[in-house]
Amino acid sequence: MNSRGRKAFIIILFNFIAVILGIVSGLIIIYFAGGSPIRAIEAIFFDPLSSSSGIQQIVIRFIALYTMALGIGLALKAGLWNIGAQGQFTVGMVMVFVAYVYLRYLHPVGLFFVMILLATVGGMVWILAPAILRIKFGANEIVITLLLNVVALYFGTYMINGPIRGSQSFGYPITDTLPQYLTFPEITQGITYALPFTLAIGVLLYLLVERTPFGMHARVVGESLETSLYAGINYSRIMLITMLAAGGLAGLAGATYIMGYLKHLDAGQFGTSFGLLAIIAAMLGRKNMLGIAFSSLFVGYITIGTEEMAVSVNVPTSVVFAMEGIMLAGVLLSTFILERTKIGTVLLGE
Amino acid sequence: MVSVENAVVDVLSLTFRFAPLYIFAGMGEIISEKAGVVNLGIEGLMLMAALTTFVIDVISGSPYLAIFGALAVAILFASVFGLLTVRLGFDQVVTGLAFYLFGLGFSYVLFIKFSSTNPVALFTNIQPVNVPLLSRIPFLGPIIFSQNPLVYISLILVLAVYLFLNRTSYGMRVKAVGENPVAADNMGINVNRVRFLAVLFGGITAGLAGAYFEIGFLQNFQFDVIAGRGFVSLALIYFANWGPIRALFGALIYNVVDAAQTEFLFVAGPAFQTSSQLFAMLPYLFLVALIPVFGRKARPPKYLMVPYKKR
Repeated sequence: MNSRGRKAFIIILFNFIAVILGIVSGLIIIYFAGGSPIRAIEAIFFDPLSSSSGIQQIVIRFIALYTMALGIGLALKAGLWNIGAQGQFTVGMVMVFVAYVYLRYLHPVGLFFVMILLATVGGMVWILAPAILRIKFGANEIVITLLLNVVALYFGTYMINGPIRGSQSFGYPITDTLPQYLTFPEITQGITYALPFTLAIGVLLYLLVERTPFGMHARVVGESLETSLYAGINYSRIMLITMLAAGGLAGLAGATYIMGYLKHLDAGQFGTSFGLLAIIAAMLGRKNMLGIAFSSLFVGYITIGTEEMAVSVNVPTSVVFAMEGIMLAGVLLSTFILERTKIGTVLLGE
Repeated sequence: MVSVENAVVDVLSLTFRFAPLYIFAGMGEIISEKAGVVNLGIEGLMLMAALTTFVIDVISGSPYLAIFGALAVAILFASVFGLLTVRLGFDQVVTGLAFYLFGLGFSYVLFIKFSSTNPVALFTNIQPVNVPLLSRIPFLGPIIFSQNPLVYISLILVLAVYLFLNRTSYGMRVKAVGENPVAADNMGINVNRVRFLAVLFGGITAGLAGAYFEIGFLQNFQFDVIAGRGFVSLALIYFANWGPIRALFGALIYNVVDAAQTEFLFVAGPAFQTSSQLFAMLPYLFLVALIPVFGRKARPPKYLMVPYKKR
């Protein structure tokens, strides 16, 4: 095995161990909460793979996480944190129905693409304020993107209670179901063309970020603004582009989630933690556009498993959040061991 | 009809009831960030502290014991956070998010476990204290001087943090390790010890914030009760340019907007029921809109979020 392959293998191995450690700690919580840890392990690892609906869920989760994590990873390369993917995702989902409700008279094929476009633009608008404030005033984007998550939650709740509430919802805060011609067609077993669509975007971003000067410029900006100044890189422009891409991709993830799977929108969709999970995926993939593909699949698989487990061993589903937190800490620990300790130096041969 | 004066008194008194949550969390975070450590995990810590307060209060019937319990949990959490970010140099943002997720999930798991054995939860509260003489001042009296004792403690804390940072040599050390850890190290300051203690202090006050949330108003628990208020506290100190007095005024202004929309919805009632979510957005948007005004001159501590490793 060449040294690059060896390095990648060790990083993957360590991160895998980290997540396993997270799960083991989670089992202690489950035991405490009154569930059976053995049944829990079984449920996490085998239940999602043992049925076609489980596999469908993994693919759907993968699509959402992958799209968001690509943007988060890209922004991270330029040294910018998008903690607001959750909010941008929410706005993306809402915008799909804004287009559906207000632009219904468009030609169906046109409307299909307008829905995707509006969701992407919605995500971009949601990140515009933090991006501009960061670039113009140096305001910390972490806190502002976080705050806008809360605002998005209110915005979404308002929208499904009013403007985009369905005509057959009998006053409940839920939208109409999208007609079939406005959703991604199904390939097989509930897996839709949203998957190849997302993979195509992933390939595009991989080429753009890992194979063109743009990606290198972003990395230079992320390393140091001063260096980028000397290198003649317009860092404001890079920062704006990467932030807007992050917001747009999260909005897009909202569109593919609705149009490729859910087909309607209700308040339950605002309480997911996809935006934070995507941060875990971006970290696990070490900001690499290809690495993120695998890490998103892995995070998707583990979280679907954890959610199914919470139901089957009868513990509160919020245990999933706690386990995600521990897994994230585990990933940090593995990064620490690899980058800062002797073990890492020896293993990576640096 | 509600008279204008009553409405104003209501709004302002609500403001002083809301504000301590952000003041407690903010003062600790000022110290911790001045020393160079951002703790996004205080949101999760506040959730854990609120849960602890609720559980101990219901079991023991003593709100004071409950506060001590919350502080113990806060110290435990902050110590682990300090160990990871200060001693081991973990990424502060991601560690903070991990703590947030953990607190978010674990607090609710504990609550479900607790409420399954204690279906009827009676919460014992600390009664508001009328400050002698001062509470009889017309207008201001009922607003400021007839509050929960923790409200007064939060106001004293602002002054204490201000004096600590600007008038004591320990305060100088905290600022030194955030501005220039290398120079501080050369002067013989143990950089990582100061940072660890700063994080610990930040954790303790965030614990108080969580305890106040229970005792000051909620007296119950549900999933994600803190609902981003810890993050708001982080934003507020940013606008205050890490100044305690300015952070106090920031918290008050923010809460006037929040209290005003609460009062408005209460008075206006069902007419605005459907758009209540839009009103709830206002305080947050107000905060973001203020950045170009107040955030322009904000200058974070130079080594904020940069771990220090002794050479």
